[in-house]
Amino acid sequence: MPLLALRDVSCRAGSTPVLEGVSFEAGPGELIALMGRNGAGKSTLMNAIAGLQRAIGGAVLLEGRSVEQWSPAERARTLCHLPQSVRADLPFSAEQLVLMGRYPHADRWFESDADRAAVETAMRRTGCAAFRDRRVSTLSGGERQRVLLAACLAQEPRLLLLDEPSTFLDVDQQLHCFSLLREEAQRGAACIAVTHDLNLALTFCSRLIVLAERGVALDRPAAEALASPDWLGLFSPRLHLNDDGAGRRWVSFT
Amino acid sequence: MSAPAHPGRWLVGSAAAFVAGAILLPLAGPSPLDYGAILARREPDWSILLQLRVSRTLLGLFAGGALSLAGSLFQAMLREALATPYTLGVSSGASLGAVIVIALGGHTFLGVPAIWSGALAGAAVVQFLVVGSAARQGRMSAFGLLLTGIATNSVCSAVILLIYGFASMSQSFSIARWLLGSVDAIGYGALLPFIAVTTLITAWVLTQARHWNLLAVGEEWASARGARVPRLMLAGYVAGSVLAASTVALTGPIGFVGLIVPHLARSRVGADHRVLMPCSFLMGGVLLAGCDALGRSILAPAEVPAGAIMALVGGPYLVWLVRRRG
Repeated sequence: MPLLALRDVSCRAGSTPVLEGVSFEAGPGELIALMGRNGAGKSTLMNAIAGLQRAIGGAVLLEGRSVEQWSPAERARTLCHLPQSVRADLPFSAEQLVLMGRYPHADRWFESDADRAAVETAMRRTGCAAFRDRRVSTLSGGERQRVLLAACLAQEPRLLLLDEPSTFLDVDQQLHCFSLLREEAQRGAACIAVTHDLNLALTFCSRLIVLAERGVALDRPAAEALASPDWLGLFSPRLHLNDDGAGRRWVSFT
Repeated sequence: MSAPAHPGRWLVGSAAAFVAGAILLPLAGPSPLDYGAILARREPDWSILLQLRVSRTLLGLFAGGALSLAGSLFQAMLREALATPYTLGVSSGASLGAVIVIALGGHTFLGVPAIWSGALAGAAVVQFLVVGSAARQGRMSAFGLLLTGIATNSVCSAVILLIYGFASMSQSFSIARWLLGSVDAIGYGALLPFIAVTTLITAWVLTQARHWNLLAVGEEWASARGARVPRLMLAGYVAGSVLAASTVALTGPIGFVGLIVPHLARSRVGADHRVLMPCSFLMGGVLLAGCDALGRSILAPAEVPAGAIMALVGGPYLVWLVRRRG
């Protein structure tokens, strides 16, 4: 049984239909780049998978069971959702925000040592241990983004849904972020990350899913996508796939 | 700004202040008490202490606590620094109910003063209207609640003004006095049920503290971390409204305590509601009971209502808070 299966999913944003008949499956070890132009329905689809928004048709199945039938706590122990943004004036410290990732794991009022260890590890991996005591409202956009990623990792989920995890990050941190996601996938989790950076996606992800015209326009392993660049037109007519002759390929634009 | 270093100490400190307030504040008042007479339980000092001062202090402590807790609860749920029982319309609904009863000349209803019943009924009606119009398909929108609350406020104030205009001289004096808000000595028959209700609801709110943390970040954030958001929002709104309405029924609308104290506490102990909420309750109680003790002592034998003292302290504090942020 696949960890995640979408069967003919249709979604609305407000009253506007944005997705119709979306179907795909995702399993452990996969790092999927979910791509598409602005307004293609990427965030809507992520919300529907996370159970934050109801699909108006079809089914989102988590381990074979509709995601809406899972209790919120049970669901939160299985999947995490990194939002595109949180309000910038949060009064919490970075560490308090990351600790919230542990809430679904215990009914206790205070965290256990195991919870603290998970938080410590997550903050070290994302490089935010240095500003653990600072208020989130005083952090830069990129630092805040790393704290949010740490909160997701501390949740120790088997399915990671990340809505633009590399926004605000500097180039080195973007690479680090996707390396972390690849580690998570190698550890046995399934990751779906929304990104606009084609080179990041082609370098790190195992599979590309591109949304266009209310549906899945492309669903292809990254290796195959690199071999045949016909799909680049889905993003812009000004993109080209380059080859350095030694097998390294990258997307450039004019 | 970095996170505060010792939230635990603030919790212990405010608990100590609360207990100290309960013991020491009854000693403050217009007429000095003869401690020898109290120890010997002689009248009238013993009765003044027990029937007037102690009940009044307890009312101040629990009313201030309930309003502050309701304030920090609403601020967490709506992620809005200005959310209080006042901005959400609960208090003005209670005021309207009480003013209607004063204008009708009601005295007692089912054994309790009719003003209390009027305030509770007014708050319940407003709560029903606000929740009803802010809920959409089982979801409550924070923005909708706030906007509906503010609109309700204006309507209630307008109706109160209308009633005020038609009321007789003595009634309009009672109305004006009630709207100022004050902590008066009340019988233990009303005080003990109030303390029981406040304590029960406070206990429930505190057990949900981690959920208020999640909601303070965002509804989707909370939902993705295991909270049943629509149910939690409804329960939280009802809990905060009952806290505010039962308090306003006994004291009248006491401004600012629900606004100042949560902000003050947050700047000292941080935003973790497991510490913030008990601190808000304890500090709010001490502040209101303290304002009342001050009000009945400084111009004795005249009394300055606690609501007026609170407004005199609260207004400048709010301006200072805004300036410091800007």
